[in-house]
Amino acid sequence: MALYAELARMLADRQKQILAVWIARTLQSYNSSDFFINSQDRFANPVGMLVRDGLTRVFELLRTEAEAEAFVQPLDQVIRIRAVQEFAASQAVVPFLELKWVVREVLNEDPPANPPTGELHHFDCAVDRVALTAFDLYCQCREQLYRTRIREVKSGRARFTDSGCPSRLADAGTGGGASEKS
Amino acid sequence: MAAVVKVDKLAQSVVKGPSLMTGGYPTKPWMEVPAVFKPGNYAYPTKPEKLEYLNRQQGVSFPNAREWNPEDDDWKLPENWKEIILQGLKDRLDRFRSLKIFMDCCVRCGACADKCHFFLGTGDPKNMPVLRAELLRSVYRNDFTLAGKILGKLAGGREMTVGVLKEWFMYAYQCTECRRCSVFCPYGIDTAEITMMLRELLHMVGIGINWAMEPVSNSNRTGNHMGLTPQAFKGNVEFLCDDIENLTGIRVNPTFNRKGAEILFITPSADVFAEPGIFTCMGYLLLFEAIGLDYTWSTYASEGGNFGLFTSNEMMKKLNGKMYAEAKRLGVKWILGGECGHMWRVVHQYMDTMNGPADFLEVPKSPLTGTVFENAKSTKMVHISEFTADLIKNGKIKLDKTRNSHVIPTFHDSCNPARAMGLLDEPRYILDNVVEKWYEMPENTIREKTFCCGSGTALNTDEIMELRMRSGLPRANAVKYVHEKHGVNTLGCVCAIDRATLTTLMDYWVPGVQVAGLSELVGNALVIDGEQRQDLTEGLRTLV
Ligand code: SF4
Ligand code: SF4
Repeated sequence: MALYAELARMLADRQKQILAVWIARTLQSYNSSDFFINSQDRFANPVGMLVRDGLTRVFELLRTEAEAEAFVQPLDQVIRIRAVQEFAASQAVVPFLELKWVVREVLNEDPPANPPTGELHHFDCAVDRVALTAFDLYCQCREQLYRTRIREVKSGRARFTDSGCPSRLADAGTGGGASEKS
Repeated sequence: MAAVVKVDKLAQSVVKGPSLMTGGYPTKPWMEVPAVFKPGNYAYPTKPEKLEYLNRQQGVSFPNAREWNPEDDDWKLPENWKEIILQGLKDRLDRFRSLKIFMDCCVRCGACADKCHFFLGTGDPKNMPVLRAELLRSVYRNDFTLAGKILGKLAGGREMTVGVLKEWFMYAYQCTECRRCSVFCPYGIDTAEITMMLRELLHMVGIGINWAMEPVSNSNRTGNHMGLTPQAFKGNVEFLCDDIENLTGIRVNPTFNRKGAEILFITPSADVFAEPGIFTCMGYLLLFEAIGLDYTWSTYASEGGNFGLFTSNEMMKKLNGKMYAEAKRLGVKWILGGECGHMWRVVHQYMDTMNGPADFLEVPKSPLTGTVFENAKSTKMVHISEFTADLIKNGKIKLDKTRNSHVIPTFHDSCNPARAMGLLDEPRYILDNVVEKWYEMPENTIREKTFCCGSGTALNTDEIMELRMRSGLPRANAVKYVHEKHGVNTLGCVCAIDRATLTTLMDYWVPGVQVAGLSELVGNALVIDGEQRQDLTEGLRTLV
C-alpha cells in the first residue's frame, strides 16, 4: 500500500535536481571535493561514483516505497566507505537524514510543489528508517574492522614486532637467545 | 513546467541552510589546516630501544631515541631540531641532484593530483602528490631560494615550524611510495623520492614508526623482519616440506647455507612463516624440486624485503648489502629472488650504485634452458616470475590447469615489480599457463597504472586499519568489479606485503576473494614424476 503516492510523483518529477543537490552536499563533506563530484570514471574516482550510485539507488527505493531489505546493499556501499574515513558516527550517517531537507528545498523551488502533509510525514519516517539502517550498517563495519585487526594480529600475516616473534617465544623457553640489548 | 533548481546555489548553501553536517565543511586554505593526530590515523612511534640499537650500528645514524606520543603537543624534539632539519635538507639537496630538480621543476599542472590512492580514499588535499611534495617544497623555497628568502609566503615559502614537522610526519606516512603519481607527471617527478627524503629528515630528530624500525632492526640482527633465528627459519621451511609431502607424496629436501650451490634463493621471510605466503613458498619448493635446481637457502640473508628503503638510504644499503655478502660467502653464481615487492625496487633502482656492481657473481643463466638473463647483467638477480616464465616457454615443466579449477583469478600488479622493474608480462604469461581462465581488472587500474594495496612502506600495521582500508579502496573497487562481473575469486600477486594486506583488504571490501602468490598457482598445477597427489580441491591449501 502506497503511503505517499502523490509525493512520489513529485519526487519522480524532480528526481534529477534532488539527486544533484543531495549528492553534491554529501560529497562536499570531503575536504577537497571537486574531483569527487566531477569525475565520472568509476575506477578513477571510486568514492565519488560509489556514493553517487548508492544515493541514487537509495532515493529510487524510497520513492517507490521498497521493502527494508532492498536498502541494505546500496546503503552499505556508501556507509562502508564513510566508516573508514575520519567521520564521527553521526557525520557518517548524516547524509541520509539530510535528504529530508534537500527534498523540501527542491520541492519549494519555483513553482513550488505542495505535497499533502500526511504524505510528507510518512516520507520523513521512511527516511529516518533508512538512516537507522545506515547506523546499524556503520556499527557492523566498525565491528568488522576490529575483528579484521584481531585476525591479522593472530594470523601472523605480518608479525614484525616483539609480541609475535616465534624465535622470541622459543627464547623464552630456553632463557637465552639474541636480543637488541646484547 | 519543470522546476528550475539552482543546484549550484543549493549545494553551496550548506553552511547557511539548516544543516546537520556540522563541521563537515572545510573553509580554510590547506596551509592553515593543522595536522591532528588521533587514534587510527597514525602508526605508533619507534620504541626507543630499537632506535638505540640501530644507532649503535655501523654506517647508519638514528639519533634522538625517546618515548614520545604523536597525540601530545610536545614531541620532545631535540633543542636544535630546526637546525638539524635544515642542515639535513641542505646536505641532501647537494647530494641528490634529483631532489633539487624535483624541488624546482614542478609546474603545478595538477596531472598527479587525483592519481594517488590516499587522495582518492580520503579527499584530503594534502594527499594530492603535488601538495605532499609542497610540504617540503615550501620549506625549500623559504630557506633555499632567493625569491623565497625575500618574499617568503608570497613566493610559496613557509617557515619550518613544529606544525610543519607534524604535517610531514602525518603525510610522509600516508604515502606508500608507490610511484603511481610519477607515471602521470609530464616531468617525471617522483613524489615517492620526496617522501623518502621527508622520512629521512624526520629520522634525524628521532621521529619514525615502529612498524618500519623494528623489522629493520630484526633484519639487521637476525637477517629477517620477523627476527627468526636460523634454527627457527630452517624449522619453518622444513614444516612446509612435511606439508608438501602429505599433499603430494613428494619429499623435498632443501639445503641451507650450502657453499658451492649454483644459486642462492632469497624471498620475504613472511613466505616461510605466515599465511597465505607459506603456500607461495610451497610452490617455490615444489618447482625447484621438479626441475632439480642446484640452489640453497640462507638463514642469514633470510629476508628479501628491505624496510631500509622506507627508512634511510644508508639503512637500505646496509640491508641490501647483506644479500650480496651472503652470495659471496657461499660462492654461488647468481641470486634468484622470490615474490617480493620492494626488494625488486631496491635491486633494480638502487643496488648498482649502492653496493654494485656484483662482479664476483656471474650473469644469471638458467641451468635448465640456457637462457641468459641479460636484464640482470649487473645486479645478478633474477625474479622468480622471469625464471618460471622461461621454464614454461621452453617446455621444462609439466602443468595441469585443471588442478587450479577452483581458482578464477585476476592479477594485481604489485607497485614495485610493475613500476620499478617493468615486470608486467611474465606474470600474465604464467597465469595463461596455470589456470583455465583469468580476468584483467580495468585498464586504468593495472600494469603501470596499478593501484597500490594501500599498506606498503611499512604501513601494514593494524593500528592504522582505517587508513589502510580507505587508501586500499581504489584497488578493492576494481577487484570488486571483476568479482561481480566474472566471478573472480582469487587475487593473484607477486609481493609478500600484498599477500598479507590484500587479504585483509578483501575481507573488508570484497569478501569471497582470496589472495594467492603466483608461485602457489604454479605449485598447484605442477605435475611431478613420482608424485602421489591427493585430490586437492583447494590446491596446496587443502587440509588433509
Ligand atoms: S604532475 Fe608533476 S608537474 Fe604536474 S603538479 Fe604533479 S608533480 Fe607537479
Ligand atoms: S607515490 Fe603513491 S602514495 Fe605517494 S604520493 Fe605518489 S601516488 Fe600517492
